[in-house]
Amino acid sequence: MMSNAGPDRRSLSDVARDRAALRDATPAVAALVLVQASLIALDPDGGQSIGRAVWSLLPLLPFGWLVWTQVRAVRRADERQRVLQLSALAIGFGAAMALALLGGLLEGADLGDPAQSLQVTFIGATLAWIGSLGYLTRPAR
Amino acid sequence: MNNRLRELRAERRWSQADLADHLGVSRQTVNAIETGRYDPSLPLAFKIARTFGAPIEAIFTDET
Repeated sequence: MMSNAGPDRRSLSDVARDRAALRDATPAVAALVLVQASLIALDPDGGQSIGRAVWSLLPLLPFGWLVWTQVRAVRRADERQRVLQLSALAIGFGAAMALALLGGLLEGADLGDPAQSLQVTFIGATLAWIGSLGYLTRPAR
Repeated sequence: MNNRLRELRAERRWSQADLADHLGVSRQTVNAIETGRYDPSLPLAFKIARTFGAPIEAIFTDET
């Protein structure tokens, strides 16, 4: 099983894990992009109908699919990678809680816009998660 | 926890990636165990012991 690809090559299980993650996530991302694009392109009448509400919530389906691919990636990871991934998710969760609290406090003081606060929470928590994952899993020699 | 992973690996002329292939983990995980930044779980420690054909206590020792 020895390989000639150099001592710093990635292990076979790592390659297999990455391939599986890509295979999992590609259709989910494509579905999310497709749904978002169709939401923008085919926006129905501006009323308050139930159909419009359902239409607006449609991205939740591919988003849920993406969450499931992330769960599968965590399960697939080796034990140390899993610890790091869960640590990064905990940091992202903490950031989401802190930003949601911040948004709530600002709203309570009649400052800021709730919709904007929601976007900041989502983007901030995602960045905290991805950033901490990148830091924790930085290459070690 | 101290370990003799690097020494045992060197005896076999395996790279960290080679050992990672045997154990089904990433090369970074092998590196983290060797440098003492990560202590493996009992199942992984047993797998390491089986890979090197040695008892766990011959590979891993308590620091104290």
